[in-house]
Amino acid sequence: MAAAAQRKPVSLKVASLVFIVIWLMVAAFPFFWTLWGSFKVELDFFSIADWTNALTGDLTKETYGRPFTGAGYYGAWVQEEFWRAALNTFIVCFFVVVTSLTIGTLGGYALSRSGHNYVFWLLIAALIFRAMPPITLVSGYLPPFFQWNLWGYLPTAIIVLVAINQPFTLWMLHSFFQKIPKDLDESAKVDGCTQFQAFRFVIIPVMWPGVITTGLFSFLLAYNDFAVTAMLLNEQNRTMVPKIAAFLGTTYTEGNVMFAVAAVVSATVPLFLLVMVFQRQIVSGLTAGAVKG
Amino acid sequence: MAEIQLKNVSKRWGSFIGVDNFDLTIADREFLVLLGPSGCGKTTTMRMIAGLEEATGGEIIIGDQVVNDLEPKDRDIAMVFQSYGLYPNMNVYENIRFPLKVRKVDPATHDERVMRAADMVELREFLHRKPAELSGGQRQRVALARAIVREPNVFLMDEPLSNLDAKLRVSTRAQIKNLQHELKVTTIYVTHDQIEAMTLADRVVVMQRGVIQQVGSPTEIYDRPANTFVAAFIGSPAMNLMEGTLSGGVFTSDHVRIAGLTGPDGPITLGFRAEDAAVAHDSTDTEISAPVYTMELLGDATMITVKAGGALVSVKANKDYRIEIDETVGLHIPAEICHLFHHETGARLDG
Ligand SMILES: Nc1ncnc2c1ncn2[C@@H]1O[C@H](COP(=O)(O)OP(=O)(O)O)[C@@H](O)[C@H]1O
Ligand SMILES: [Mg+2]
Repeated sequence: MAAAAQRKPVSLKVASLVFIVIWLMVAAFPFFWTLWGSFKVELDFFSIADWTNALTGDLTKETYGRPFTGAGYYGAWVQEEFWRAALNTFIVCFFVVVTSLTIGTLGGYALSRSGHNYVFWLLIAALIFRAMPPITLVSGYLPPFFQWNLWGYLPTAIIVLVAINQPFTLWMLHSFFQKIPKDLDESAKVDGCTQFQAFRFVIIPVMWPGVITTGLFSFLLAYNDFAVTAMLLNEQNRTMVPKIAAFLGTTYTEGNVMFAVAAVVSATVPLFLLVMVFQRQIVSGLTAGAVKG
Repeated sequence: MAEIQLKNVSKRWGSFIGVDNFDLTIADREFLVLLGPSGCGKTTTMRMIAGLEEATGGEIIIGDQVVNDLEPKDRDIAMVFQSYGLYPNMNVYENIRFPLKVRKVDPATHDERVMRAADMVELREFLHRKPAELSGGQRQRVALARAIVREPNVFLMDEPLSNLDAKLRVSTRAQIKNLQHELKVTTIYVTHDQIEAMTLADRVVVMQRGVIQQVGSPTEIYDRPANTFVAAFIGSPAMNLMEGTLSGGVFTSDHVRIAGLTGPDGPITLGFRAEDAAVAHDSTDTEISAPVYTMELLGDATMITVKAGGALVSVKANKDYRIEIDETVGLHIPAEICHLFHHETGARLDG
């Protein structure tokens, strides 16, 4: 029977299971440890006397009467106004994704449909810029930004993030577009579309998985960015990641580390949700070309 | 309804000439087939008419309008692509409807027109499937339906049958012929398959390396090929072509002697079709006498091949005829069935 022939030896099954469990623990453990610890006081989570305190929360119980406390979250979100950072992150991410996808889809499409050979060099140049560490670019931006009084504002950071991110977006979308046969554009044109209508009504719908995957990568870049946002934003306009870094940087008062831990958990949760919602598109965008049949 | 005029149309990429001085008028409602080996510029010619490729020289006129500078959408043509070019995200119904939608045809008429087009190609039961869920033949019919739904001035079809299996090709061919007859639309059809060309065309254009070799009805092209290229390209098997010399109306070459011809003395190429010739009865009507190279049973006939006049020469005999390889056979090639061609240019010699 085919099923019998395909059955793997038991030892192999056990080995792969063990491997997956170990891998899961290594990968997921830090996150769950942080999640658990974020509801404790600092002396529990970073207990020097007894590490099991972090699990049982003895000192937390002593302070608040319960083994769990939301003090870290309250401190971060309300006292330290982490909500402002979250809002800033949202604004930055939204505009970075929208801008780089708009330029990326239009540019990637145009490049993929152009027969000229400068396209190749354009893409290579784009890749080189992408390969440079962002910090080298940012330091170059600083003097003019100070001079023109642009430093500190969200739009400035958005523009720089888009600039850094655009080559990658362009490159990725370009390769997605190239996998879509030119016959589709040409069919659409003969059927009555202008070039832009062909792009809008025929190519983009076929491209969705690619656009979503690329959009997600842009989002992650903006969301996780530290170099640009830390250097270009003033305290009011800080996004989440530099804000977390700021929590950590002032450890002389008790609770700030816990603010950072709570903020880290807060910042991670949306990522989980996002990946779960879009996992199917991401997989199909990353593996197959966008078109079948 | 439209006549199409191509005036000295050509296409160059750098120094490479894809189509050279293509000059032809296609009558209203005509079914014109562009025929030629792969890479001879058929698709390029069609794409220039569609507006997907810019002509580097000449004028293209559809109806009474020069269309060289018009976008494809403004040329009122419909095209069936070799790979069909169906929209993978739309179902069959939406695919067929798409041209009506983008051209802002009155939405109230959409349903009726889509249904009529779908009925013409027998697609009604598949309207809700995506292209990926269809067989090759069904996809091909969707492409056809999408082309006819709008009732354009001109149909362009680029090897629409080449991705189908042999049986389906025959039935779809008949369907295309019938559709064109019913819709009475000027049609340009590209193929490298001479049987498709012969069965479908009002007129055939035979092309080679971007140059028109002959324009004519299928019968003309078959009966009076304009040069050795057309002679060798049309017919199955291709026309036999032998090199030899003509003197005083007698063609001679190794194993060959054909009398009663009219033509200039000197080196010459002589051609005849396998089905026109026969096995000789006796030495008086034997023009070729040579050992048998091979014998093939075709079912409805027996094909005998010999080496003569510097080429392999085939003759169709009765289906019961049998002979051994290397046995000498006499073949009857009367002068009436012979075509004479210039030995260098390959051009036909008798008027
Ligand atoms: N974009 C192009 N650039 C350069 N040469 C091309 C291009 N498109 C087609 N050709 C060449 O033009 C010739 C004719 O091509 P085509 O019209 O597609 O032939 P076919 O008769 O097989 O349809 C071929 O030799 C092909 O290589
Ligand atoms: Mg072709």
